[in-house]
Amino acid sequence: MEIVKSKPSSKLSTKSKIEKITPYLYLVPSVILVVIFCIYSDFFSLIVSFTEWDGLNEMKFIGFQNYITMFQDPNFLLSSLNTLIWVVGTLLIPVTIALIFAIAITHVKTQSFFKTVFYLPNALSQTIAGIILTTMLSTYGIPHLLEVMGFESLAKDWLTVPYVNTLIMVVSSGWQGIGLNLILFIVGLNQIPKEPIEAAIMEGAKGIRLYTRVVLPLLKPIMLIVLLMSLVNSFKSFDTIWVMTNGGPFRTSETLAVTMYKEAFVHNQLGYGSAIAMLLSVTVLIISWFLLRDTFKGEE
Amino acid sequence: MKSYTENSRKTITILLSLFAFLWFLPFIYVVINSVKTRKEYNLGEFWDFPKGVSILENYEYINDRIDFMMGFMNSLLYGAIATTLAILFASLAAYAISALNIKGKMFWFMLIYSGTIFPFQMYIIPIFRMYSNVDLYDSKIGLLAVYTALCIPFCLFVLRNYFYSIPKELVESAKMDGASDFKIYVSIFMKMAKAPIAACFLFQFTWVWNDLLFGLTLSKSAEARPIMSSLSLLSGASGTNDVPSALLAAILASIPTFFIFLVLNKSFNYGFPTTSK
Repeated sequence: MEIVKSKPSSKLSTKSKIEKITPYLYLVPSVILVVIFCIYSDFFSLIVSFTEWDGLNEMKFIGFQNYITMFQDPNFLLSSLNTLIWVVGTLLIPVTIALIFAIAITHVKTQSFFKTVFYLPNALSQTIAGIILTTMLSTYGIPHLLEVMGFESLAKDWLTVPYVNTLIMVVSSGWQGIGLNLILFIVGLNQIPKEPIEAAIMEGAKGIRLYTRVVLPLLKPIMLIVLLMSLVNSFKSFDTIWVMTNGGPFRTSETLAVTMYKEAFVHNQLGYGSAIAMLLSVTVLIISWFLLRDTFKGEE
Repeated sequence: MKSYTENSRKTITILLSLFAFLWFLPFIYVVINSVKTRKEYNLGEFWDFPKGVSILENYEYINDRIDFMMGFMNSLLYGAIATTLAILFASLAAYAISALNIKGKMFWFMLIYSGTIFPFQMYIIPIFRMYSNVDLYDSKIGLLAVYTALCIPFCLFVLRNYFYSIPKELVESAKMDGASDFKIYVSIFMKMAKAPIAACFLFQFTWVWNDLLFGLTLSKSAEARPIMSSLSLLSGASGTNDVPSALLAAILASIPTFFIFLVLNKSFNYGFPTTSK
């Protein structure tokens, strides 16, 4: 792989020394920025997570206290539960439904039309999708429609109803986020070689059996990537919740990412916030490890 | 047998069309209601066709309330500059890692790439503290630097993969002709990498444009605030009850990403490779 430079190695003049160092200069800007913003931050967060710190006074080292407090903090426990709901919801909508849609789309003639429609919400950010769906769900929107249709008991501001609002937000974020997974699935389905499928059809496999026995196993590599990517993202859900409910009412719809932000920047508990960030990171890292292992398979 | 598949194809098309309609409904809702006046929206039904077009009034309202234009321009600036710088820096590093004579290529790669591994929640407290200490909190330079740094790992990943695919013979013959390393970087690597550079630019611009977390954490005043943080002020408890204005803001703030969507949608039909942050 390496390009061997033909250089006289006998004399180690300053010139050849400079030549040896120059290639490393290409790395300097990237390395400096990443070290300052990412790697320094990782270590800083790790250290702060073992302290009690409001950001103004001296840091006080308290060992694992933040991590112990966490599991006695009802807000944190509820937030963890909500995060799990987000994870399961993500597996259902942007993964499972995307797969079903993708399979259906490969069976119809107007593939690109359907692809475009389902991918369209991806042109919006999560923040914007959140704003649009919040207004749709506000007093004069869908609740009003339900009232007109005669379902008066259903006509309420659903985003202010604890627990129900989390489900609504999971669906909303699914509306926005299904597109990319769908496209990846369709690309994967179209890339599957025809021969094994034709052979299976010849042997009489059809319908759902054809998919569970033949097609889906062939789609496994892409399914794995989509699954892991979606899992990682669902653990970090923040934007949708921040705009749609702000974690409320009474902190009932927070996820770990929102709780972390609030503890650190609203309640000035930087130590506790860092501890939550650490926990979130470790969880995400464990999942990412599987993703990375696959990405770099065969390299070194 | 043939009629069986024809029939099931029809059923699938109808079902898909229903879902497609459902998926598209919010867009119709947004377009119809963004041109109404607040009064018209509150007194009428949201499915009523608008009586007039009051875009200007709605625009003035959001501009007054959240400094919409300033947020928009800020984000354009962050998106364009941070992404360009990140591609420049990442391409230099990718070049060194894939083509130059350096030791520990995998180490350098992993060092830079590690920036994408941790969730961004890990970074906000330390960067917020660092910026408060060096007076970069709530400044354009501060946000630009963060966005640049965080775009580098993804660009490095894409460009390094591409650079490895550039034939070695090309580099060798350029060397024979006496081209310097930097000359080869410019005239061979960067020249050939137009497609992956474009992909990096589109993806990373979209990420910067859509970012809410860093905007919320690192800016306070309208001078530095990016667009999504401005928009988030329209929603939630402290938000607005002027729905048409909020919807208009949503449309306007989606224009850049919508254009990128059109470009990508075209390339997706050729199986464009994708990754997300």
